Amino acid sequence: MGAPRTHEVARGTLPAMSTSQPTLAVLVDELTRALGKSSVLARPEELIAYEYDATIERARPDIVVFPASTDDVATVLRLARKHGVPVVPRGSGTGLAGGAVPVQGGVLCVLTRMNRILEIDVRNRTATIEPGVINLQLQEAVATHGLTYAPDPSSQRVCTIGGNVATNAGGPHTLVHGSTVNHVLGMRVVLPDGRATFLGSRVPDAPGLDLRGLFVGSEGTLGIATEIVVRLVPRAEAVRTLLAIFASIEDASNAVTRVIASGVIPVALEMLDREIIRAVQHSRDVGYPEDAGAVLLVEVEGLRETVEQQSAQVIEALRAAGALDLRIASEAAERERLWEGRKSAIGAIGALAPNFYLLDGVVPRTRLPEVMRGVEELSARYGFRCGNVFHAGDGNLHPNVMFDSMEPGATERVLALGAEILRLCIEAGGAITGEHGVGLEKRSYMEWMFGADDLEAMSRIRLAFDEAGLFNPCKVLPSGHGCASAHSAELTHHLATPGVYV
Amino acid sequence: MPARGTLVTATSDLEGVLAALPRARHRETSAYPIEGRFPSVALRPESPDGVARVLAAARDARAAVVPQGARTALTLGRPVSRYDVALDTTGLHRIVEYEPADMTVTVEAGVTLHALQARLAEEGQYLSVDPPPGDEVTIGGLLATARAGAWRGLLPGVRDLVLGITVATPEGTLVSSGGRVVKNVTGYDLHRLHTGALGSLGVIVSASFKVAPLPEATAMLALRCPDIQLAERAAFELRDRRLPLRALSLLDASTATTVGVETRAPATTVLAAFEGVPAVVARAERESRDVARRMRAAIEAVPPFTWSALRRRAALAGSEEQTVLVRLGVPPSRVASTLAAVGSGRLEAWAHVAAGCVYVRGASLTAATLLALQADAHAAGGFLQVEHAPAELRDIGDAGDLELTRTLKATFDPEGVLNPGRWGDDA
Ligand SMILES: Cc1cc2nc3c(=O)[nH]c(=O)nc-3n(C[C@@H](O)[C@H](O)[C@@H](O)COP(=O)(O)OP(=O)(O)OC[C@H]3O[C@@H](n4cnc5c(N)ncnc54)[C@H](O)[C@@H]3O)c2cc1C
Ligand SMILES: Cc1cc2nc3c(=O)[nH]c(=O)nc-3n(C[C@H](O)[C@H](O)[C@H](O)COP(=O)(O)OP(=O)(O)OC[C@H]3O[C@@H](n4cnc5c(N)ncnc54)[C@H](O)[C@@H]3O)c2cc1C
Repeated sequence: MGAPRTHEVARGTLPAMSTSQPTLAVLVDELTRALGKSSVLARPEELIAYEYDATIERARPDIVVFPASTDDVATVLRLARKHGVPVVPRGSGTGLAGGAVPVQGGVLCVLTRMNRILEIDVRNRTATIEPGVINLQLQEAVATHGLTYAPDPSSQRVCTIGGNVATNAGGPHTLVHGSTVNHVLGMRVVLPDGRATFLGSRVPDAPGLDLRGLFVGSEGTLGIATEIVVRLVPRAEAVRTLLAIFASIEDASNAVTRVIASGVIPVALEMLDREIIRAVQHSRDVGYPEDAGAVLLVEVEGLRETVEQQSAQVIEALRAAGALDLRIASEAAERERLWEGRKSAIGAIGALAPNFYLLDGVVPRTRLPEVMRGVEELSARYGFRCGNVFHAGDGNLHPNVMFDSMEPGATERVLALGAEILRLCIEAGGAITGEHGVGLEKRSYMEWMFGADDLEAMSRIRLAFDEAGLFNPCKVLPSGHGCASAHSAELTHHLATPGVYV
Repeated sequence: MPARGTLVTATSDLEGVLAALPRARHRETSAYPIEGRFPSVALRPESPDGVARVLAAARDARAAVVPQGARTALTLGRPVSRYDVALDTTGLHRIVEYEPADMTVTVEAGVTLHALQARLAEEGQYLSVDPPPGDEVTIGGLLATARAGAWRGLLPGVRDLVLGITVATPEGTLVSSGGRVVKNVTGYDLHRLHTGALGSLGVIVSASFKVAPLPEATAMLALRCPDIQLAERAAFELRDRRLPLRALSLLDASTATTVGVETRAPATTVLAAFEGVPAVVARAERESRDVARRMRAAIEAVPPFTWSALRRRAALAGSEEQTVLVRLGVPPSRVASTLAAVGSGRLEAWAHVAAGCVYVRGASLTAATLLALQADAHAAGGFLQVEHAPAELRDIGDAGDLELTRTLKATFDPEGVLNPGRWGDDA
């Protein structure tokens, strides 16, 4: 799977605050001398591939560098700072918030060549890795030791651990294990001014301010992680997967609450609605009934005895919530088959419409039934089809709004619908992003959740790390020096993700 | 040392601070000593707004404020350099919102952990933390110190459970981050920054947490192993069998005796606690007996008291001023060697294996010993924190990146109103 980028339309390259050509030429020269010729790109045709992530935000960097070490990263930051040129970190570019898009041009610091697993410490259940290691590679490397790295974003075949750290990535199995921040013990970080430091430790609860906890999820705006110590967990003795079929998304949503109320927190609790089920069945038969309103995938794991008792509790809760049919699998191959529909939703949804807009909102899970009804009503009112495939257990919605950007006005209406859905999430006591981040995309929505004093505190954090305001500018916070133009451009041009996400 | 009621800061004009709250919220300053010093003013606001008003007034008066809850951890960190206002947080005692089906709760900072656990237990739930010295700590103190107990490393810690926070700032504002939902990446996680900040960046007035179902069954066992090597092997074997542990600790002979497990050196005790569905706890007990047999250990069930006594050892009573208590963080594989290095003399030492947390306690701990322990911890990628000690030893502990810490402190509290000096920031 390459970073999916199927439908690109109505994009506009965001206006960059340009750095003068002579300055750039000097910087290219200095970077080339420090890092070597093969680690610096500056010819326009080489730069095109680096002007976007998995959103369709675009902005071309002036220079792309591929550091090989912490020292290289520090050099890049120091040189760029000396010339007053912005720097933006980038992993695999699967981000869904525009975080790795260099809106003001400058240097794009691509970390994919720092991809060594430095140590797997089985006795201490930790791994030390460089930021460019791909999530799945780490999973595979530790699996042979009976261990696993819990955060499993659906993009795990492509995305980097550095990107996961920056976005505090989640995944189906973070329901019980928690998002990335719960799995990062410490990391080496190069700060925007080029100073390297270590945040956290190799064990939990290091004394001092928890700068580790602040850095994880800061969306590449506080520095560049160059070495990461992660916590590993043992693979479970037994795993059982259940697929429950419901007449409506509302019934399935109620079932989520019932399962949790039964005292069981499954390791995964995922939902697919009718649109998605049909799309999946169209592309290939995974055995989902096409007339179902929704299916729930529930996974429990632990010691055999735990799995035995908890799956009985889950089954009872699902039945009580009106499950029409139940399928249960314990063997790996059978479980894979139940997960197949969930996993192939990625490809399937692309076939439904020329474009779609993937949203990411969170609500308290007890509010799911009414919020899902609201999403349905709003989509109908705007005249769009909308499919839902999401992490129901933690109330993390992902409505996929399907549209055709060639239809006049459709793009604007989709954006307006997206905004209304996110407002609905906030009104239900939720938040505007559960795992993809604020990035460029949702900066203007921050004010819906936070007051002026809250945002002021956040911008002080930013300033404490980056006084010059040159590090990954115009992200996360609604204001920023020279960001006004990018800000308005984002609303007219930002169109959702071309890539498909589950 | 300034006498009771004397203004500590020459420039302070505390009239404004006193005016910030109605008289009924004023307290007797004699109830708020910190290491022999008394504040000039003691106030107990009953709302988040009240806290913000006090801070704004204190800033105008250039007065130093020390927020305090249950007053169990005021010697943590470097000593405060100035102390004018005692801000008692126990007036913030409301459980603001509790939605059992969402498994989230929002509480004010002065609520004790005990009160919170009692409320959660009514719904079969709990907050999975066991900080020292006991459940008398306030939620504000729990967060500000981020102290963990034996469950850490096996259950999520307070840093992993906090979903959002509201703090009062020296500008007199209330600032929030995060929210009430269990998954959220909106904006910077200020709630994580305030967790463990020892009240140096803001006064926590309320926080939201993720809670968990209470386990159906638990079991607590002591394995008295002939020596530290066998104890280490036993502990790792229990861990590697993937049994549902919620605590796994190693106790030297004097610690074991103190908490009620009779032993003599070189015997080392493994304390294990299990939780889960009844069938699995029964299996854990069976497997533990098997491990004990092979490690030539005597095995016995222990009462909950053993754990609460161990938890109290990680704190000091008022009468133990001279006792030194340090916490080391080392990789789990280095826990046994660290305990062995401490040796069994007049010191007590114990460890929570999964989190690599080693406590050493005793009146005879000198600066030289601390520095040696710290050097070993650093070599293993870990740290040393001085939990309690006379002021002159408290400079030894690690405190992370001081340059960033001081920049953040200067950013959020430029006048040094909050706990000045905790990070050596008020020189
Ligand atoms: C004498 C004594 C010494 C102790 N020493 C240790 C020890 O060495 N090791 C150990 O593990 N445990 C120690 N403890 C236990 C203690 O750390 C608790 O675990 C901790 O949670 C304190 O909670 P509290 O409500 O008592 O906080 P307090 O002691 O009242 O406050 C602790 C710190 O947090 C700040 N604070 C309090 N409330 C707020 C708030 N709302 N917002 C911002 N900041 C706030 C205070 O200013 C202070 O810096 C000790 C207990 C005693 C009795
Ligand atoms: C098909 C698909 C499925 C997805 N599924 C999920 C999912 O289940 N859960 C989820 O959370 N996300 C998901 N995502 C979003 C995305 O994959 C994650 O945000 C991922 O963590 C990004 O990693 P990346 O290496 O691609 O980072 P990039 O997109 O390159 O960068 C993301 C952000 O991280 C910063 N960054 C990158 N590396 C570093 C570093 N070393 N130091 C500091 N900052 C850095 C960048 O500046 C940027 O702000 C999905 C995306 C796609 C396309």
